[in-house]
Amino acid sequence: MKTKALVVFVSFLFSAGISAAELTVHAAASLADAMKEIGAAYEKESGDKLLFNFGASSLLARQIEQGAPADLFFSADEAKMDDLEKKDLLLPETRHSLLSNLLVVVVAADATTVPKSVSDLTRPDYRKLALAEPQSVPAGIYAREYLQKMGLWDAVKEKVVPTENVRAALVAVESGNVEAGFVYKTDSLISKKVKVAIEISAAEGPKISYPVAVLKSSREPKSAKQFAVYLAGPTARSLFERLGFIVAK
Amino acid sequence: MSLRLHQIRLPLASFTLEVDVTFDQPIAGIFGPSGAGKTSLLDLIAGLRRPVAGTVQIENETIFEAGSRLNLPPRLRRIGYVPQDLALFPHLNVRANLVYGYQSGVPENELFSLGHVAEVMEIAHLFERNVTTLSGGEQQRVAFSRAILSAPRLLLLDEPMSSLDLRLKERLIPFLLRIRDEFRIPLVYVTHHAGELSALCDEVIVLERGQFTARGAPPDVLAP
Amino acid sequence: MTGEAWQIVFFTIQVSALSTLLILPVGIVIAWLMARRDWPGKAVLETVVMLPLFVPPVATGLVLLMLFGRHGPLGSILQNGFGIDIVFTWRAVVLACAMMSFPLLVRTAQSAFQEVNPRFEDIARTLGASEWRVFGTITLPLALRGIVAGAVLAFARALGEFGATAVVAGMIPGKTMTISLSIYQNIQLGHDAAALPLLFVSIGIVFITVFCGQIISKRKRPV
Repeated sequence: MKTKALVVFVSFLFSAGISAAELTVHAAASLADAMKEIGAAYEKESGDKLLFNFGASSLLARQIEQGAPADLFFSADEAKMDDLEKKDLLLPETRHSLLSNLLVVVVAADATTVPKSVSDLTRPDYRKLALAEPQSVPAGIYAREYLQKMGLWDAVKEKVVPTENVRAALVAVESGNVEAGFVYKTDSLISKKVKVAIEISAAEGPKISYPVAVLKSSREPKSAKQFAVYLAGPTARSLFERLGFIVAK
Repeated sequence: MSLRLHQIRLPLASFTLEVDVTFDQPIAGIFGPSGAGKTSLLDLIAGLRRPVAGTVQIENETIFEAGSRLNLPPRLRRIGYVPQDLALFPHLNVRANLVYGYQSGVPENELFSLGHVAEVMEIAHLFERNVTTLSGGEQQRVAFSRAILSAPRLLLLDEPMSSLDLRLKERLIPFLLRIRDEFRIPLVYVTHHAGELSALCDEVIVLERGQFTARGAPPDVLAP
Repeated sequence: MTGEAWQIVFFTIQVSALSTLLILPVGIVIAWLMARRDWPGKAVLETVVMLPLFVPPVATGLVLLMLFGRHGPLGSILQNGFGIDIVFTWRAVVLACAMMSFPLLVRTAQSAFQEVNPRFEDIARTLGASEWRVFGTITLPLALRGIVAGAVLAFARALGEFGATAVVAGMIPGKTMTISLSIYQNIQLGHDAAALPLLFVSIGIVFITVFCGQIISKRKRPV
């Protein structure tokens, strides 16, 4: 009688362990705050556990290519996702573009010199500009492409302080060590230490797109797909919108 | 020249050096076994160590007084010192070592010029040599000369012959006598070899474990 | 090796040399104080000097960032008084290298001073030399071999500096990009092949430097 109860108890413990999945999500730095909130809500609902790895999408993609264990990749641009798809690291049917964003120019909250248009940044009193690394990190690429389109890139590239990801650019502006920086609108909403000087409209600015996909190497493909579906669902969408993201229809 | 050590106390590793003595002979000897405190005694006379009590006077000038914090630094005492290991500066040649004590250019007194001293001590031919290539006896004479050339009013010698054999010792004794006679510098000569003291000193004081235990002419003190 | 890569190499050598030159005077003074003097609280100074050796380099970089950022205590003085920017410029690279290599210089120079027989200094004093003259003509020349060896070590350390530099100077191409930062960035971008020439050059430079340092410190003058 005692052994039977013990077996039931132990198998109960095990089954509780088996049904809950642990998902590792590699997500762009600009998604950090949103994903933490969404993740907490999802964990309660599903019983699954979420582990986030936030960083520059370029770095995250590289880590996935090198075999870092992950279940989902939520990138800040399509290019990084394309790279992984070309290398056959995704489950292609799970790839969806979920969000968009806007580029803004921010300055320190107490700054007295505030640019009115992007061409103001070529003035000598703007000595340093923080951008995410403009060759690889999505936020930096978006900013560079925009400045190139406006014919201003050559004039400002000497002033550029490349940062590892877009949040680091935000921090640089907050610290006052640079005069201005390019970040996403959603980043500017998070920080009280910066203010938006210029908002680059969707029409004028680069096409920003955040795709998500389940990785082929995922050990929990079923749970991962479930989470991907959740990210496109109503609860997640309203949360993204509240934080300033533009949700794809 | 008189050197007066009045109620000097200097704690050492295993005993305290306590002396109260006046030296007024041209060559005074201090005799004692190793570890008796001889080197520490010379150090405090030169100003390299500081007693906790007492006064040191030379020619009626007080150069150290424990109570009043008077402590003339070594460079102002004009007391020459030839330590046991000679301490010839290895990175300088013989000439540079010799003239190190010249304060401001060549001294006016012909007696203490480089040429004269080198002639008396027979080291003129060694000027360009590196000090580490010299023989034991040559190094000794260079060390004496270096101290003399700073025109001291007193010269302290710590076991100056310890590394020399008997033959060299006998050769060196005349040079020490020349220092007394030619340069007229009083010497305080410290050693644990009785023979050297007999040949040189007018008076010998015996130092044992930090205390002076006997005083007198060499034959009287050293006989037994 | 491209032209850009050579620029990175020369820049790294220049900032490392400059940082070593800057820490020499202070380093020698502090090393001498450690070797020849004692005072209450000496252990505190010893520990502070050694800290950059043991604290994680990025933490040291953070400290520098807080001190020398435009709003930091030292950075604001330089900004408002002289219009000089430190963070995100080559000056921050020099600063980071100086900070990280300082303990190596002090430790080696301190040993060098301790090896100088104090008896030489004593005798020099009896020959009438002032403390400055004793230092300049006796202590320093006799300790010089060790001090130079320490400078070489500091230079080699500066060449390889990464963590603190990344935090306080950033990786700005043409302005603060050192060999280490460039190799790291190439790895980040997946351009491993581009990193290889720099890797070999940097190993080569450090090898030569440390080798020379060994030769200098081994050739002992008989004392």
